[in-house]
This record gives sequence, C-alpha cells and structure tokens, in this order.
Amino acid sequence: MAIDSEPKIVAFCCNWCTYTGADLAGLNRMKYPENVRVIRVPCSGRVNPQFILRAFRRGADGVMVCGCHPGDCHYSTGNYFTRRRFMLMRELLEFNGIDPRRFHARWISGSEAAKFRDTVTEVTEMIRGLGK
Amino acid sequence: MTYAEKQRLMRDRAAALIEDGIVAYIIGWRETRFPDKTAVFFARDKDDAERLVWNEYAVPLTAKYMTGDRWPDGKIGVFARGCDSKAINRLISDNQIERENVYIIGLPCEGKSDDRCLTCRQKDPVAYDELLWEPDSASPTVAGRGRFFRTEEVEALGTQERFDYWEDVYSRCIRCYACRNICPVCTCRECYVDMHRTGFQGKRQDTAENRVFGVTRAFHVGDRCIECGECERACPMGLPILGQTQKIIKTVERLAGDYESGMSPDKENFLGKFDKDDKDAFM
Repeated sequence: MAIDSEPKIVAFCCNWCTYTGADLAGLNRMKYPENVRVIRVPCSGRVNPQFILRAFRRGADGVMVCGCHPGDCHYSTGNYFTRRRFMLMRELLEFNGIDPRRFHARWISGSEAAKFRDTVTEVTEMIRGLGK
Repeated sequence: MTYAEKQRLMRDRAAALIEDGIVAYIIGWRETRFPDKTAVFFARDKDDAERLVWNEYAVPLTAKYMTGDRWPDGKIGVFARGCDSKAINRLISDNQIERENVYIIGLPCEGKSDDRCLTCRQKDPVAYDELLWEPDSASPTVAGRGRFFRTEEVEALGTQERFDYWEDVYSRCIRCYACRNICPVCTCRECYVDMHRTGFQGKRQDTAENRVFGVTRAFHVGDRCIECGECERACPMGLPILGQTQKIIKTVERLAGDYESGMSPDKENFLGKFDKDDKDAFM
C-alpha cells in the first residue's frame, strides 16, 4: 500500500465569510490544493483552542482558523474574541514546540475567493516544505 | 516576631472567633506525620484551634477548600497569605464564593520553604477583614528569581528542542489531575476531562494525550492564573508545569501591558473582553 505523503490541513471556516468565500472559489472554478479539509463553524469564535489540539493529536499536519475581518462579524463581536484567543494559542503552541507555520489564523471575507485560494495554496506549500 | 509567637496569636484568635460565633469554622494548617509537611485543616472548636500551626512548612493554599461549602452555616473563616488572598479574589470574581460568606484573617507571610515561593510577588494579603500581625515592610515580595524564569528557560530552546523538552515532561505525567484539583482557578463542577462521551480528552495513557491535557489545562487556567504554583507542588511526579501557564500570562503582558490576576475581586480577565484595536498578527 502506498503511503500517503500529502499533508493534511484542517481549516475551520466561519459560515458567514470564509465558508462563503470558499464556496465562491468553487463557483468560479478556481483551483486550490485538495489537501485542505474545510470544517464549517457558525463563527470563528466557535473554535475552541482544543479543536486545534485535537486536530494535531489526530494527525493533521496544519490547522487554519478563518473568519470574517474584524468589524464584519455576523454576530458583531465574535471574531474579536477569536483574535485574542488565538494570539495566545499561537504563542502557546510555539512554546510547546509546534512550528508556528503549522498554525494559521486568517481573515477572509465572503467575496475574497481569490484570497482563500492563495492562502490555502501558500499554507499547503509551506507545510509540504516542513514535512509531514 | 518568631513563628511560635505568631502561632500563639493564630490559635488564640481562631478560638475566639469560633467561640464568639463570628465564624462557623476556620481553615488553617495542622501538623502531619512528616516533619516538613503540613496539611490544610478545618478547626471547628477550641480544641481544634490548638492544633493549628504556623511555620515555614505551612505551604498549602487554604482558599480552594472553601469551594466545597457553598451554603455555609455562618461565615467561613480562612487564614490567608498573599497567595491565598489572590485566590479568594479570583474565586469571588469567578462566582465560586460570596464575599459576605467569608471572614479573611490576613497573615503577612515570610516566604515558605517551597519552590512555589521563589517567584512570589505578593507576600502580604491583598484582601482581608483583619490582619493578625504587621507586614514586614522591608519587601512586599520574596523575589528569589525573576517572575517568568520558568518560562524563559524553555523559551531559550529551539523549536525542536522545546518539543522534545515537553515530550520528556509529559512522558512522565500520570494524568492524576492533582494539578487540576489543587488549582484555585480550576473550579468547573464538571471538568472537560471527565466528560468521557465528548472525547475531548482521550483516556489512553500516552504522552500525546498527556500533552493535550497539559496544554488544555494551561489554556483553561490561562489568563486567570494567579501564579501560586500549587500545581507544581501538588504534582506527584514533580513536573515543571507552572511555566506553561506563565507563558500565557507573559504573552498577555506583551499584548496588553501589566497583568496580574487576583489583585481585586472585580478585575475582568483578558479573554473575557476585547478591544477593537487589539494587536493583530493575522492577515
């Protein structure tokens, strides 16, 4: 059996912005690496830092958290909490010896299909360089 | 004043408070069968008060023990040093106890013979109903080492070395959850590790699961940590885990300026609020 050498990337995408952005990328027939597994969440504020740990624990090579730009949150303030939370989480992961390039948090709006494609491509290439 | 004199004061005051009905009982320390260890003790009458001790081994935190009695018959008396008083403030702001149910007898501390006191920043109680003796004005802290020396030792390593360092630490963890049980900030009625059906915490005994627990615990305590170091003291494997939570405090300080949890009962914590102008390393 061939060993799968492609990295797996888990992306938590907010329902109102990034998920729509990813949808738009599909509608526009944009091509992006299939390494990314999109998980839809109601808001980036829904993402418990534990989801990140669980993803890494279960073998993900990279994790992304994507949400609306600050000020654009569907629930007004959700992503402001996300921002604080993951500023801390990023440092804590780095402190625990997880390469910071394996964890990304990005703001991608519903109309930024190209940004979604570029981000996913960039992150995949970065992680491919780091190795599984 | 010597330890013996202070201990005399403590016992007399405890007996008087119980006899006068000001408190229902008092939480302090007693001797154990080990000469260099004390245990937390609930004094309920005059005879119990004679068993209270105050010496360099009176290390355990008394505050957490109040959380077991939510509807006390009268006030809970508690002997509190700097760390205990910070824990009490924390418990009040976390809605675990009510200020009017507590009678705090402040004990300005000398610094005890335990590693957790190495980075003590607050020997003297920050909240109390009475002080049993005057604080030593020479220094408000024990200040053996820099506040974040535990964190900085690990930060000095490279990424892979840090990974190996924690791999080594958590390979010895037996996941007894003593660090959680002793922590004055870990007050959830049902902890995530006990929710076996959610699968948040795997039950397998291996290093990876231990690491998930270690990081999660640090994050749950995170910005509310009062840096008392009880987690390290309680750890039967002697694991250096305070540096993990202090890393979060250190990051909060870098993002938002001076930060110390538990200094007042109404202080909001960092993750419970936000600022629209927060620094943003994302894109």
